[in-house]
Amino acid sequence: MALARKPPPAYSGVLGWLRANLFSSWFNSLVTVVVAALVAWTLFGLFAWTFGSATWTQVWNNLKLFAVYRYPEALLWRPLLVVGLLMGLLGLSVFATEEGIARILRGTFWQIIGLILVLSAVAFVASWGVRWMWLFASALSLGAYAWGRTRPALLQQIGWLWIGGLLVSVLLLYGIPGVHSGPLEVVSVREWGGFMLTFVLTTGIVVSFPLGVALALGRRGNLPIIKYFSVSLIELVRGAPLITWLFIASLMVPLLLDVGPDAISPLAKAYVAITLFSTAYMAENVRGGLQSVPKGQAEAARALGLSGWQTTRLIVLPQALKAVIPAIVGQAIGLFKDTSLVFVVGLFDLFNVHNIVAQQQSSLEVTGGIRLELSLFLAVLYFFFAYRMSLASRQLEDQLGVGTR
Amino acid sequence: MATRNLGPERPESIPFYRNVKIIGTLVQIVFVLLVGFGIYILYDNVTTRLTTSNLPADFSFLDERAGVPIGETTIPYTTNDSYWRALLVGILNTLNVAVIGIILTSILGVVIGVMRLSTNWLLRQIATVYVEVIRNTPLAVQLIFWYYAVLLAVPPRVSNPIELPGNIFFSQVGIAFPWLFPSYNFSLWLPWLVVAAILFGGLFVYRRTQIERSERSGRAWTWPLVVALAVAGLGYGVASWQSSLPEAIDAEFLADRGRGTIFLDRNGDGKFGDGERGLARAVATVAVAQGQLSTTSQDLTESGEVVYGTFRFAILEEHEYSSASVDFVDPSAAEELSLHFLRGPSIGTVYRDRNNNGVYDPGEELRDTAEGASPSGFSGIRLTLSVTDFERRVVSSRDGSFRVPIFTVAGAEDDSTTGGGTGGGLGGLFGPPGGTDDAESALDTSVTHQVALPLVLSVPTIPRSDYVGGVRLSEAFLALLFGLVIYTASFIAEIVRGGIQAVPNGQREAANALGLGSYQTFSLIVFPQAVRIILPPMISQYLNLTKNSSLAILVTFADFFQISNIIANQTGAAVPMYLIIIVGYLIISLTFAFILNIVNERMALVER
Repeated sequence: MALARKPPPAYSGVLGWLRANLFSSWFNSLVTVVVAALVAWTLFGLFAWTFGSATWTQVWNNLKLFAVYRYPEALLWRPLLVVGLLMGLLGLSVFATEEGIARILRGTFWQIIGLILVLSAVAFVASWGVRWMWLFASALSLGAYAWGRTRPALLQQIGWLWIGGLLVSVLLLYGIPGVHSGPLEVVSVREWGGFMLTFVLTTGIVVSFPLGVALALGRRGNLPIIKYFSVSLIELVRGAPLITWLFIASLMVPLLLDVGPDAISPLAKAYVAITLFSTAYMAENVRGGLQSVPKGQAEAARALGLSGWQTTRLIVLPQALKAVIPAIVGQAIGLFKDTSLVFVVGLFDLFNVHNIVAQQQSSLEVTGGIRLELSLFLAVLYFFFAYRMSLASRQLEDQLGVGTR
Repeated sequence: MATRNLGPERPESIPFYRNVKIIGTLVQIVFVLLVGFGIYILYDNVTTRLTTSNLPADFSFLDERAGVPIGETTIPYTTNDSYWRALLVGILNTLNVAVIGIILTSILGVVIGVMRLSTNWLLRQIATVYVEVIRNTPLAVQLIFWYYAVLLAVPPRVSNPIELPGNIFFSQVGIAFPWLFPSYNFSLWLPWLVVAAILFGGLFVYRRTQIERSERSGRAWTWPLVVALAVAGLGYGVASWQSSLPEAIDAEFLADRGRGTIFLDRNGDGKFGDGERGLARAVATVAVAQGQLSTTSQDLTESGEVVYGTFRFAILEEHEYSSASVDFVDPSAAEELSLHFLRGPSIGTVYRDRNNNGVYDPGEELRDTAEGASPSGFSGIRLTLSVTDFERRVVSSRDGSFRVPIFTVAGAEDDSTTGGGTGGGLGGLFGPPGGTDDAESALDTSVTHQVALPLVLSVPTIPRSDYVGGVRLSEAFLALLFGLVIYTASFIAEIVRGGIQAVPNGQREAANALGLGSYQTFSLIVFPQAVRIILPPMISQYLNLTKNSSLAILVTFADFFQISNIIANQTGAAVPMYLIIIVGYLIISLTFAFILNIVNERMALVER
């Protein structure tokens, strides 16, 4: 007679999932319980601290400093207009690209719009001087997105739109050169700072792109002198950390150009160092892409009668660059984080502003100081944008099928 | 139909302006001329600038006296040393943090990487959150978090340290723990060590060839290691037995300053000086028959909270004295106030027993500071700690010096804040075994030398406001280490995860089929294969860690970069110093590239 046996443990359903993933053995169960208790305790502590004993007044009172540093109060509409402009361009781009990329751009667009809308609401409730401008920036972004849905013919020219938009942005932030009064007066770059400066410095990746491609081609080419020049420049720059290049730029650029130590603004010095550093890494990334293009592609192009330059421009580079887009986004994340080092040239970017705030009299009077609040605030801000970019990078990787073909 | 003339007038060679080789050469010549011209202009600008502003343009200034105070050094260094020496200290500090950091980050990274593949959902999620959060936050932010928000804010002051079992102290100035140092008798043991090392090497090579010849599996190093350890251990016993005090050993002890020096008295005058050098890692017992310590109670901010009415004497362990008592200097204060002890006689609270229950209750502390305000200084009650038969084992530091708490004559009115006073006078100078002091000083102190074994255990103490003895890691060092280790581990975890996932599943299945357990499968089959994939990118992360250590400037740790920078600012020799910095980092990068190449070569699959 067959004995009735117990059914095997279920591994489906909620209980089954729990058993499979959290309580598969006595040891695993122990780990789960201990770790869950630790996590709960930590989260509770963090929650209690954030809404209990933490002092957020200094962060709140200095939000303008964190955002734009000493940018004149009356001209704040200019950076905000830039926000609206760039977000509008991003919204338009969603409809100018093929489906896969468009999905990634759309996700990015809506998340940042979410942040902007939250900030607009906060600005409105706290009745900051710029609350209407915040609303205008949101409206501009959303309006551009809505307009993009109708797929206007202008979308064909999205590349030119971006170039124009970036130029207008620079003019808006800096003002019309030579004008020293009125709404478009010049705002010296010494007044720039905060998150705005962090963003401006991160655009160094855009400048470093063509330079990096040139260096990579030089390194891969067959002209020995240019090749060794590229190799030594790349390895020299990559050999030392960014912080040394920033220091060197701040001391050496005036020496190299034979001008006084204060003749060149710290922003220009930092930009030179960051772009140089970024170029060397960009060149290595692009070289990786060039190496991934099968040799047959170039040979086939030559067989079709394309010249060496045409082969590179029309056949090899497009494939190589497509392959390294995720790596370049990764590099952009690195650069975004590394801009926090510009404190060494005396710039007050998002990171360095925290030093000012921490040393304000009202901050020093708080028992125990407010460094913990400040570093968490910074960490959350940097994390939001860096994580957003890294998500996009991963999605791009899937989209472009890098490594799967 | 037009036919092209293919006659003999067609030139045989391509015209030079279409010849790829010639164009290439021309382009390169133009390039060299342009770059050379650019470099010449820049070089000319720099040299004119340097000469007009009279800044150093060569390296001769490096031999001058540095005068840069450096908190943490791995080799002896004083401000009288040259810039070269200061630079060397910086390089060693960078290497120190890099080596310790690389070891720790590898461990943490592997743990997190394996956690990301755990079958336990919770562990997997925690590892994922760790990696994403840490990777996407700038290292600079993490460093200031560890330094300012955690290590400077959370631990208590050095006057009231957290003490962990085994004499480990942790406070705002860092962590200190006991350490074994080679003493002046180490040379007795050294030959044994050399013999042990040679034995190990020889036996290892022998065993390896033996194992290879017999084509069996086995570990070549087990037996040689046992033999070598046995020889070294035996040697240590013999060397300890042979250890003796140097004949000319002497000590100078300034009791009123709480410090002294153990040295070899070469000229026999009983005084330290005249080119005599301190004796490092010598052991002695410092005794004070009767003395007192002074302090003033105060309110202070500690660990983010205000501590009211606290008094802190130098910390004395219970076994170091036979009796101790704390008294009020002002007799009227003794009538109103009482003392509550928290750590032996050394630390406690002055309180006013408001409810007259005879014991301390929270809220009864003596408060000089209004509620909610930050403490502003000394305005408390003066106290003395009288001790009899104080005895402490001291181990001299690298320069032969040692420190003990500053004792003054018991019962003497001491008004000076430095603790010296007129009555206390100069402390006596004693040679072994003890001695008599002149009548001026009533403080009865003695220094008794003890024979140091080849290795001496130095235990940290806190005679004044810093650790003395053992090994001390400053808050700056710890913050830099934490930041670098945690940051780099997030990248290593991803490398480890990718490497393990890259091992074909068939390998695991085959191992299971052979009857290997899950641990054996992982350690014998999966991991060795994953290491091949993991190691090369891991080495470039090690290089990143080393280069990122230049962020030490954020936590004021004196690494290579920071010291070079200070020297550049001090001497104005920016150009030579930045050449040194770049060359220094290039050497580091090239060393790692060299190691990477060797690893790649050895890791490459030998294909038949």
